[in-house]
Amino acid sequence: MKGKQWGTLIGIIILVFVVGIGYLFSRNSDLTSGGKGNITVVGNLGGEKIGLFSDEEIIKILKDRYHITVDWRKAGSIEMVKDYKQGPDFLFPSNQVALELFKNNHAEEIKGSEIIFNSPIVFYTWNRIADALIDQGIARQNNGVNTVDTESLLALVNEGKSWDDIGANKNDPNSKLYGKVTIISTDPSKSNSGNMFAGLYANLISGGVVNDSNIAAALPQIKAFFQNLGYLEPSSGDLFEQYLKTGMGAKPIIVGYENQMIEFAEDNPAVWEQVKDRMRVLYPVPTVWSSHPLIALSDNGKKLIEALKDKEIQELAWKKHGFRSGIVDIQNDVSALGIGNIPETIDSVIAMPTPAIMDQIIQAVQ
Amino acid sequence: MIKFGLLRRSFCIRASMLTLLVMTLLLSGCQSDLFSSSSKTFVILSGSENKPLEPLVKRIAKESGYDVSFDYKGSIDSMNLLQADSSRYDAVWLASRFWIELGDQSKKVKLTQSIMTSPITFGIQKSKAEELGFVGKDVTIRDILNAVNSHELNFMMTSATQSNSGLSAYLGFLHALLQKDQALTHDDLQNEALRAEVKQLLQGVNRSSGSSGWLKDLFLQGDGSYDAMVNYEAVLIETNQELVKQGKEPLYLVYPTDGLSIADFTLGYIDNGDADKEAFFKKMQENLLSESTQQEIGELGRRTGFGGVVANRNPNVFNSEWGIDLDRNISPIAFPSSDVVLEAMNLYQTALKKPSYTVFALDYSGSMANNGETQLKKAMETILDQEQASKYLLQGSDEDVVVAIPFNNQLIDVWKADHLSDYKSLLEQIENLKADGGTNIYKASIQGLEQMRNVDTSKYNVAIILMTDGMSDGSYDDFAQTYREVGKDIPVFPIMFGDASDEQLNGLVKLTRGKLFDGTSDLISAFKEAKGYN
Repeated sequence: MKGKQWGTLIGIIILVFVVGIGYLFSRNSDLTSGGKGNITVVGNLGGEKIGLFSDEEIIKILKDRYHITVDWRKAGSIEMVKDYKQGPDFLFPSNQVALELFKNNHAEEIKGSEIIFNSPIVFYTWNRIADALIDQGIARQNNGVNTVDTESLLALVNEGKSWDDIGANKNDPNSKLYGKVTIISTDPSKSNSGNMFAGLYANLISGGVVNDSNIAAALPQIKAFFQNLGYLEPSSGDLFEQYLKTGMGAKPIIVGYENQMIEFAEDNPAVWEQVKDRMRVLYPVPTVWSSHPLIALSDNGKKLIEALKDKEIQELAWKKHGFRSGIVDIQNDVSALGIGNIPETIDSVIAMPTPAIMDQIIQAVQ
Repeated sequence: MIKFGLLRRSFCIRASMLTLLVMTLLLSGCQSDLFSSSSKTFVILSGSENKPLEPLVKRIAKESGYDVSFDYKGSIDSMNLLQADSSRYDAVWLASRFWIELGDQSKKVKLTQSIMTSPITFGIQKSKAEELGFVGKDVTIRDILNAVNSHELNFMMTSATQSNSGLSAYLGFLHALLQKDQALTHDDLQNEALRAEVKQLLQGVNRSSGSSGWLKDLFLQGDGSYDAMVNYEAVLIETNQELVKQGKEPLYLVYPTDGLSIADFTLGYIDNGDADKEAFFKKMQENLLSESTQQEIGELGRRTGFGGVVANRNPNVFNSEWGIDLDRNISPIAFPSSDVVLEAMNLYQTALKKPSYTVFALDYSGSMANNGETQLKKAMETILDQEQASKYLLQGSDEDVVVAIPFNNQLIDVWKADHLSDYKSLLEQIENLKADGGTNIYKASIQGLEQMRNVDTSKYNVAIILMTDGMSDGSYDDFAQTYREVGKDIPVFPIMFGDASDEQLNGLVKLTRGKLFDGTSDLISAFKEAKGYN
């Protein structure tokens, strides 16, 4: 080796030390969390919040104002609490039930929890189907906002009505929808939107919030309903993407969160222009609230709770990602949104069954 | 750049002592990386039908200084690979998100997005489709069953236990013939009448394969001898473009109203903890989903766009003359839950698929002694031992026929198993034989043909799987003469090992429309793959 090469080699060895030490230190968050350097907060979150946690503006506020970098992994809300293994700083499911289920086995590990966002469960469908439902008197349009009578819609499915029966094909004989009316949700045993839909379904076939006295009677029907749907996506983000990409034939009516459409329109203005007259959101009457509690499992997780309550983050979460605020003193302004036909408030809400009842429902559909 | 190269090799970094770490780096393969400025590698585990997109992906990646390579595997294989060890790959791109979900048990796949879609349909020679009355009207799976039952239609389809397109079609058959229009259940699979009808329909399969891409190549090689094929719309479009170029009759695409599936070609990142790779992946994925690239992907016959409105509607690609109507709704079946799918696959393999007639011509020449012989015997055990075979969904049905022809420069013997119960003694015979002598692949292959000369091969999915490790004596012409005399569509699937001549083997492949499998690095995998084609 010539002198220059030796120089390079020595330089490399020094670099290896520096990088190696830096790497080892960065692996050990205890060494850095006490300082004012960045803290990396590791955790699991539902697919519906990926857009928010990938938002450069929000990432920047977290970093500049709170010195926080979030290292997240996507997981279904139920899955993340059921398959929980120690390690993450936080879990961020999208319902209270997940929190309650987590408390059952891991109460002592929770350092804090707080509802950060809210979003109602809605149905996404297509203009043709929505119009047919309006003609049937099952859906209504009021000031641009579409609502649907949840019980009547579910009855169509339970009675095995076809798209032909409800008149969804009458104006489009050359582009027919084949088969029966179906509502596709995510997997209730893995994902929150599916889980909440199962709760809503159970309530409606039980004539009110399903309880210990009538859950046994409802279970077989709940089980059959989901069995008939077959394979269900484990995440609401994936289902919404499929709804958009595979279209009306494949995904005629899906269960989702209100925020998904707002976020999609914000992220894809050009695409939104193309599809906005075709896709339709139906607000179920009644619906259920998806509340997003952040479960902190470490001090760093607690810091993330405080950071996410930042006014500006809450505003961005609504305007760009469609999450209604979970913080008491923040109001969401519909006129701030880039799209119309979103109701100011969600009025007809039914409570979810208790976690113990939901656990029975999950067992039945698994 | 250097920093990146080091971090990437996290297994080096994990060495507890830094000095040791430096030594390791300098002495091991990591060294070359330090000194070279070669581009960074990124490996995608992918379905074979993505091959036409490889140049596009490579072009996008180049801007970021990445050298992307594709490892093409069937969906089932990919699922197994993800389950076993996903750290070998940086990304996964399969026809259906379902397989990623099933394979990703260590939860390392993230950032999954569908890049494009394509329905799985029937492509039928247009004159044949007209004859069957399938043009310009709604066609159901029962119409296709009727055409098969009246011997008016045969079709090629990939194996439902190896490939997503074959499985999707098969699930569509079950779904449609059940006429329940709800997702299949375990109970439905016990329905004897349903089983019988699907079995009849699968009798219409004249050639099968483990991969959709290869099925297209086979169709084109057939030069008009095949009527129809089940495949992705995108692959059928590619087939038609080629047929038109050759001045031949294109296929007419038939979309059964009651048994369709749509592939969503999901691309996901496999997180092995490399931030630079993740950033590159995001950039690449974003580019693939950008409007201009989506247009390009549309040019390749893949559907892009949102809300059922196909973005690229190039009429030369999505040609209405070929039966493609982008405004028609595609109403796919409800995909069954994963445990029902797995049960349906086992049912296909053991009872419903067209039975296989497989001749294994096995090289026992002297050069096979020791390592080759051991691997060969292990490979045959993997296929014949039903418990092992079922792990790869390669188990047999009781109607399958298996013939083993051990050979060197002479035929050593011919052993036949007509029933599953005969496999054990067949395997014993294979295991007890010792390697010795020279090599003549032609004699053994001719014997394979002779074996099927008087068999009604329309009742079987036939193949000669020829495993060899050396240059062969004997004459290709003798084989070719017998092949023509026998006059049946019997493919030879050679498995190359040791010093085998690919020139000699490719001669057989070309004549019989077979496929060469490379067993030089892993003979057992090559046997599994070849069996998956039969």
